[in-house]
Amino acid sequence: MTNASAVDSGFTTIHDRAHPKVIFSTDPSDFDYMKVNVPCQSACPAFTNVPAYIRDIYEKRYGHSYELNRIVNLFPGTLGRICSRPCEKKCRHGEPELGQPVSICHLKRAASDFKELGRPFLSQMFSAIGKSVCIVGSGPAGLAAAHDLNAIGFNITILEAFDEPGGMLRYGIPEFRLPRDVLKNEIETILKMGITLKTGIRAGVDIAFEEIMTEYDATLIASGCYSSNRLGVSGENLRGVYSGLDLVMDISRGKTPDLGKKVIVIGAGFTAFDCARSALRLGAEDVTIFIRGVEEELRVTEDEILDAKREGVKIRGLSLTQRIVGEDHVGAVEFLRSRTGETGPNGRRRIHAIEGSEFLVEADSVIVAVGQSAEPNSAPGAKDGNGVLIGDRNTFKSSTSNLYLTGDFLTGPSTVIESVASGRKAAERIAQDLTGQKFREWVVKMQEAVITDRQRSWDFIPKQEMPSVMPISNRIMDQKVEVEQGLTQDQAFEEAKRCYLCYLHYEIDISKCIFCRYCIDNAPRDCIKLVSSVTLNDNGAIESFWETVDWQKVNAVVIDNSRCIRCGECVRVCPVDCISVTRVELVERNLLAGRL
Amino acid sequence: MPKVDITVEVCGMAGDGTIAAGGMINEAMSSGGYYVLGFDSYPAEIRGFGRCVTHSRIGSEEISALQEKTHILISLNDEQSRSRAPYLDNGAMVFFDSRPSAYITEDQSLVATLRPDSRLFGIPFSDLATKAAGSARGRNLTALGGFAAVCGIDPELFRHVITTKFESKGQKVLDINIKSFDAGYDYAHQRFSERFDRLFDGLEPDQGPKRVMLSGNYAIGKGAIDAGLQLYFGYPITPATPIMEYLAKALPSRGGRVVQMEDEIASIGAVLGASYTGARSMTATSGPGFALMTELITHGVMAEIPAVILDAQRGGPSTGLPTKTEQSDLHAAVFGGPGDSARIVIAPTNVSECYSFTVKSFQLAEKFQTPVIVLTDFFLDNRVENVPPLHSSESETRNVNVFPNDAQQGYYKRYSDTPDGISPRALPGMKGFNHVATGLEHSEKGAPDYSPENHQKMSEKRHRKIQSALSDLFEPEEFYGSSHHDVGVISWGSTFGSVLEATRQARQMGHNVAALKITSIYPYHKDTIRAFMLKCNNILIPELNFEGQLANLIGHLNTGDVHRLNLVTGSPIPPGAILSEIVKFVDGGSK
Amino acid sequence: MSTERFVIIGNGPAANEAATTLRQRAPQSGITVFGKETTRSYKPHLLPDVVAGRLDAEKIFASPEDYYNERDIQLRLGQKVVQVDFNKYQVILEHREVVSFDGLIIATGGKPRIPEPLEVFEDVMMTLKTTEDARLWIDRLARVDSVLMIGGDLTSLSLTRALINIGKKVFFIIDAESFWPLPFNERLHQEIHARLREKGVDVSSSRKIKRLTQLSDCSIQVETDCADFEVGIVGAFFGLVPDVRFLARSGLDIDRGILVDENLQTRFRNVFAAGDCAQVYNPVIRDYWVSIGYDNARTLGRIAALNMLGGMIAAQASPESIFSLNGVQVNTSWWMEF
Repeated sequence: MTNASAVDSGFTTIHDRAHPKVIFSTDPSDFDYMKVNVPCQSACPAFTNVPAYIRDIYEKRYGHSYELNRIVNLFPGTLGRICSRPCEKKCRHGEPELGQPVSICHLKRAASDFKELGRPFLSQMFSAIGKSVCIVGSGPAGLAAAHDLNAIGFNITILEAFDEPGGMLRYGIPEFRLPRDVLKNEIETILKMGITLKTGIRAGVDIAFEEIMTEYDATLIASGCYSSNRLGVSGENLRGVYSGLDLVMDISRGKTPDLGKKVIVIGAGFTAFDCARSALRLGAEDVTIFIRGVEEELRVTEDEILDAKREGVKIRGLSLTQRIVGEDHVGAVEFLRSRTGETGPNGRRRIHAIEGSEFLVEADSVIVAVGQSAEPNSAPGAKDGNGVLIGDRNTFKSSTSNLYLTGDFLTGPSTVIESVASGRKAAERIAQDLTGQKFREWVVKMQEAVITDRQRSWDFIPKQEMPSVMPISNRIMDQKVEVEQGLTQDQAFEEAKRCYLCYLHYEIDISKCIFCRYCIDNAPRDCIKLVSSVTLNDNGAIESFWETVDWQKVNAVVIDNSRCIRCGECVRVCPVDCISVTRVELVERNLLAGRL
Repeated sequence: MPKVDITVEVCGMAGDGTIAAGGMINEAMSSGGYYVLGFDSYPAEIRGFGRCVTHSRIGSEEISALQEKTHILISLNDEQSRSRAPYLDNGAMVFFDSRPSAYITEDQSLVATLRPDSRLFGIPFSDLATKAAGSARGRNLTALGGFAAVCGIDPELFRHVITTKFESKGQKVLDINIKSFDAGYDYAHQRFSERFDRLFDGLEPDQGPKRVMLSGNYAIGKGAIDAGLQLYFGYPITPATPIMEYLAKALPSRGGRVVQMEDEIASIGAVLGASYTGARSMTATSGPGFALMTELITHGVMAEIPAVILDAQRGGPSTGLPTKTEQSDLHAAVFGGPGDSARIVIAPTNVSECYSFTVKSFQLAEKFQTPVIVLTDFFLDNRVENVPPLHSSESETRNVNVFPNDAQQGYYKRYSDTPDGISPRALPGMKGFNHVATGLEHSEKGAPDYSPENHQKMSEKRHRKIQSALSDLFEPEEFYGSSHHDVGVISWGSTFGSVLEATRQARQMGHNVAALKITSIYPYHKDTIRAFMLKCNNILIPELNFEGQLANLIGHLNTGDVHRLNLVTGSPIPPGAILSEIVKFVDGGSK
Repeated sequence: MSTERFVIIGNGPAANEAATTLRQRAPQSGITVFGKETTRSYKPHLLPDVVAGRLDAEKIFASPEDYYNERDIQLRLGQKVVQVDFNKYQVILEHREVVSFDGLIIATGGKPRIPEPLEVFEDVMMTLKTTEDARLWIDRLARVDSVLMIGGDLTSLSLTRALINIGKKVFFIIDAESFWPLPFNERLHQEIHARLREKGVDVSSSRKIKRLTQLSDCSIQVETDCADFEVGIVGAFFGLVPDVRFLARSGLDIDRGILVDENLQTRFRNVFAAGDCAQVYNPVIRDYWVSIGYDNARTLGRIAALNMLGGMIAAQASPESIFSLNGVQVNTSWWMEF
């Protein structure tokens, strides 16, 4: 942290008068610090305050933990089950020498599972503005935008084409992964703030966009991606060939199509896996997912792959779909062997066909789940080659004034957490455009703190296994049996203990340090360094240390926060109490709080 | 061959708890009924970075030396332990930390240096200790836990040792250590299916002698106290410091005093002063300090004042190798100082003798009114052995002053020329026995007298006195002796243990070899030694010095040359080195 | 590249042959072989005989004790590679040691396959691939008198024979999915069935294991889709899968095995894979294949070593000895050796 440079560089550093030991900073070096040091929060598209909510679970304040989630991601119970978990990939506990990442997602669910019933949810409400916004689509992006705009003081109406709100959450995710009552509850919490929801109305069909845009001060399209991509091979129209998304949606609506015994799924995303697992529940005996490349490049979580395999789903790699074979009804799929090539610009390996390597695999049905895209609609404005409205990803604006886009509709298929973040950002933008005021901003909050009761031995607690329904036969007899049963309270407590609480920052005050090296002797790894000098980057954050073993050249004893695992041993052993602890978090600050 | 004869080493960096771990192995195995000989080596610096190694030889029969090959290595620091790899036996067991706190390179890795037949037991010492006790400080105990589990040693032996060691530091500290030990034990017990439960199966449970684990230094301190030591004066020096440390704790409660002097000259001065009054007093030092003392030691010779001086030898000359062992002060002990200053020099060969020789030294000093020098060395001082409980009889500790009879009152000759050279000695304050004690050459009365006749006479008297001590001194002891030998090995001090083992091995190989242990360095038993030499075709004298100092002293007794084996490696002479020397002579060589 | 440092992961036949070849052709090079087991290279297919007590455990070694030492090849046994960094060309060992290399041959071989649905019972089932496994079998067999074999690879057959010889009651659940060194058809199924019956094996017609529960040290409750019963030991014999999990996220392409070109080179320069862990596309059979078997492995090990030193030798597969395993073609000289 470079508090001094924050003042020099001209960025806002506000001292809160009520709490003199709290500092809010917008200095880029502090955001840089967060990226390295609190990677989970920085990795979350919605900036969920992971260490804080995990600490709440340790303190058994489940309701508060839930609330810390809800204020930024709105669907903790839902996300606690189906989030893509970008945070866990960055969790410092998962560094190779440190073990496995904390189950951040499962803990989110624990907060939801164990929160007190009837707890009122406090959304930070602003006074009414007297303007209205129409949101098209009640998926995660639409609901998130609706929530935020409503809180800021706008009148909100949501138009939903289907019978129930929730979008992909409701229709695109099987019930065995996301029970509907959990989702319904969280949606209702948003709606009951005073949002008008009109279901069964397809914007542009049941009501013209022009009409909507006249009636409301602004319109936000958040209608997602519901158009299934096709393979573009022959035989795709045969009976027994299903679009993955359509299949999942049908099942969500209660249908039970007969897929036969032998099912082939083509695709590599969550939908492909959902289809494969749903197929087992529909009575299929032999379900195989065919992917173009190798398993390692699958875009689903490892848990998902493992669960699918345990249920009996097989995965076959290096197979390119060549054609679907059959007369009238599908009989087999012809694949071509592929090989992996160079790494493409998106970081994935290119896949090349191997000529002459065709092979046939028999199937009673084929499910094609190779992605989806936004459907064209009749809203006015600039469109892409497929007739889909285009917009600016930073301003959320279309080419038509007061018509905004967000979520998957704007960006193409993404994750739920990205959609929520996108919806919230669009809301902030709309509010700003319509009122000329900024309502909230993200800042780095720094606060004096003390070491916690966290013990170094907790670093060795094994990752808590998510209990799931066993034996497998009990799972696949019903679409609605939720496979994951949720961590128990004891498990959640143990798992919460695993979190390093990276939001605590340790720093040695060199003016007090007596160079006794006790901290180094007691350090769990090479996190405290004897240095002759440090190098700062352009933003003023520490970039590298010049370490020295020559005692004559040592100018400071420095904690390398990127190596520090926040065990607190150094603070405990320091004989002169020269190591300070600061709690550093990304928080969303209300800029107009005084108007409440 | 003994049923159990296993050498265990613990190696780590200063601060890793290496020495403590080695000590606990010794204690535990000793309480399990085994014979144990332990020796530590550690860095010279006061507090610093360096290698610590403990060696524990554990056997079902008595042990006199260290072994060359290590069977079990417990590594608390792999980079340091690499140096031990060449000493590992075939198929040695190696315990190491499988989760070091940072990545290591090949040249820091212990296992990278090991032979493929080594049996590796990777145990995450630090992680387990931290997990169990909240801190990695107990990782040395975690290592011991792993060692105990794999080798099938009753964990209660260790738990008892740990409890004894840490009890006084409070329940919390004790818990941490017990938990750390158990963590290693449980981990290894579950993790390694390959176990060596029969490794230490050499003893029936109740056959074990009840023995106590003592270091040479401790035995010296205890010997001094048992002998009625009243005053200790000294100046710290490795490897003698622990004697002073022990006495500082133990002596005051017995009415004695320990005084740290400004240097070694002051120390010996104070000892002479105290002894002059009749108090039993001593000092302990090492080569460099001993050199400073020599002038005043000869004062004790001249003025015929008792004094006990312990010289714990270390690598020299000068500051030399403070933490390495050597036997190179023999010349200085026997001959050091101005003039013809004969004094008594004795040298124990094991921990029990460290005790009994110290006890003996006070009576020798008293009876013969002379400085007595006890020569030990680093290896002897610092090694631990489990020995039968030590005690002395009244006859061994009682006052043996030869006081003048009342008839001499008023006519007292302090330095009377008697047949055995011992002049009855009066203590200050004894009425009617006023006399002059002086470092100047003096007459029988004590008056300075430089006349040629007097100096000749008094020199003869003093030397006669020292020679007369021979009958009070320990005779050389013959091992495996009979009427004729191809090789006779003569040895002194800590080296004797290796000689004994080498001799035994040579005899097992069918060679006709005997050993002679010499503990009275000066005066020495010429006739006994000559008799032994006469029945041996070859005489070999291995010593931990370059000059062959014992050989120089007694070599002339042999009809031909004596063969010397002079090693100054800083480490005890390995039995194997002596054995191969012996084999050279039996395979054709002769005098 | 004669003074370069070669690292070989694995100590089976492919590794052995690769090390020997590298030493012959590059006398000045440094060669290090990492074996995760503590025993030196042995012939795993002899283990059933060891379990049955018909063969002394000392007789299964592939080469004399000093073989590597005499050839100045550093052999590091009991030391497991857990990661390979192909940016820095380093292998990382379980005990956190980092070893750099110029050239790498991955020859980790196969490990027993446990189908994912049965993974939850992994602790209850026994396999037989290593000398350590053999030791456990011997230990457990002393205390039980019945064994359930699930699967049906060659090891399971020789072990079944061995178990019957020492008087154990054997149950068998044939799993059509499991690795079988012949195309598995009804005729073969019947034949095996009959042959096992003849020997006194209780061949179960069950198809699915629903649950395995360890009741005590020497008793396991078995629940299948048609019967429940108790046995002393459950053995899992579903063939082998390449032991390459430690290479996940290393950047190597891994399908069933490590994907290599016909010269056994991976996508990284000077990094080769050989033996049971390599998966290669073969234009003759027009599919990927994995080699299994002792002699195959030796051949591939030699080829990998020669190619490392600049050769351009293609690995050959003769189509008649290839069959399909889980969608991947498998070459088995191993079967022929039996």
